[in-house]
Amino acid sequence: MADNTAIESTSKTKKLWQFFWRSWAIQDSWNYERQMNMGFLYGLVPTLDRCYPDESDPKQLEAKKEAYRRHMAFYNCTPQTSAFVLGLSASMEEQYARDRASINPDAINAMKTSLMGPLSGIGDSFFQGTIRVIAFGLGVSLAQQGSILGPVLAMAISIIPSVLVTWFAAKLGYEGGNNFLQKLQSGNMMDRIMYVCGIVGLMAVGGMIATLIGATTPATFSDGTLVIQDILDSIMPQMIPLALTGIMYALIKKGVKTGWLLVICIAGGIVLNVLGILA
Amino acid sequence: MESTLLNAVLVGLVGVFCMLDSRLLGRLNFEQPLIGATLVGIVLGDVPTGLAVGAAVELVSMGLVSVGAAVPPDMVLGGIVAAAFACLTDASAETAMTIAIPVAVLGQLLGIVFRSIIVVLGHVSDGEIEKGNFKAAYRMHIVWGTVLYSLMYFLPIFVAVFVGTDVVQAVVDMIPDWFTAGLNTASQILTAYGLALLLSMMLNKGMTVFLILGFALASYLGLSVTAVSIFAVLLALILSSIKYGQGGAQMAVAGGADADYDPLEDDDDEF
Repeated sequence: MADNTAIESTSKTKKLWQFFWRSWAIQDSWNYERQMNMGFLYGLVPTLDRCYPDESDPKQLEAKKEAYRRHMAFYNCTPQTSAFVLGLSASMEEQYARDRASINPDAINAMKTSLMGPLSGIGDSFFQGTIRVIAFGLGVSLAQQGSILGPVLAMAISIIPSVLVTWFAAKLGYEGGNNFLQKLQSGNMMDRIMYVCGIVGLMAVGGMIATLIGATTPATFSDGTLVIQDILDSIMPQMIPLALTGIMYALIKKGVKTGWLLVICIAGGIVLNVLGILA
Repeated sequence: MESTLLNAVLVGLVGVFCMLDSRLLGRLNFEQPLIGATLVGIVLGDVPTGLAVGAAVELVSMGLVSVGAAVPPDMVLGGIVAAAFACLTDASAETAMTIAIPVAVLGQLLGIVFRSIIVVLGHVSDGEIEKGNFKAAYRMHIVWGTVLYSLMYFLPIFVAVFVGTDVVQAVVDMIPDWFTAGLNTASQILTAYGLALLLSMMLNKGMTVFLILGFALASYLGLSVTAVSIFAVLLALILSSIKYGQGGAQMAVAGGADADYDPLEDDDDEF
């Protein structure tokens, strides 16, 4: 089983692009049971085929089956950060194919499992919690003014970090991800990234509450001489949107079901409007 | 009638494109109501309507992210159908969005069915590996996964647009003014709901102050979301270097196991 020509002769750039595209395609068969398991296997297929090129050799065929089986295990992680796991797994698989005594194959899946949590945590809070919120917060405010720049800008803000993170994650993972990982965990780096993402995301949402909801009250006291909205504005502008968000937040935290909340929003909106409380 | 068929196919294909964004492109965010609705506006030749519906639905769906196994109401599907109705009938953005919500809930149900079907594909794939049919095994992912996820969007959108446009127009004609005004208010509350959902995922203990700060900058000082975001990045960088910066790290190393935790915990109490 010493045929390693395919592993060594393939250029690293080609391998990295394979991790890149295949980490993006990792959700293509997302399902309830093992989630992204087939996606992960698909990501490693070129690597595994290079490790075990000769299917006519029964020993290699068995090793290849074993490797395919190994990567059908449960997997779920942000696609962009999955490139790191793909790169690291591929380098471990190659090592294992070169010298079967050098690595315990169980360690590969153990590594995958231990990385899923932190990398999804960082990946989701960065891409879904921060980048997406800012990109579409800006996009919506431009689109509301009728500008096509809204969606264009939202996509530009979304795509650039996604490409950069995926590429460097694949590179870091493949070229010595183990060392990098230890550095990341020892220096509070994970906590730090989460902390920064948290602040930026929350402040952006705070700004969106003040700018994008725009609910006001048409109610007046004593024959229209006392406009309630003016009083509210003098205390705190956009107080009603803030209160509405607070109420909805409390209902969500109470565990009210999504379907009911949608009904409450629509029915509540119509009733409050007819009663002249909100406009 | 022919144009209805063509429109239904075009809008369905927009849906397929948006769905495949998260399947094949690592969720670059084409799979967002704002983008889907704008694309519908482009294919149906009414970009301003697409933008308006997209913005309205996007705001509701901000907090509805698919994380792990939970499938939220599919607002991308809803947004695409709503944009098509708004472009093809007289419905306003708010009315179209209200029509879109039931479609979104239906889309959620369909999503559950399809994601369960793919579980079976996983087992077929297991079997193919045992037989040594490696190509067949990974084709379950890249071919059948793509096909099923595409159908999951194409079918409901096609049917809704093909059958529904006339029905929706008839319903829109009957809607009284007070109802339309009420829906406008409802869309504002729905936006508040969308942002609250987002917060329910993001808001940790001790972080509320940043939410209020962002709100205050925008409400009292009138800053835009862009300006607030830029201040937020700067503030986050400053605070994180105070919290995790060199001084803190050195103390932690020098102080041994106990001191590792103290600086962090003190910080948490402050916020």
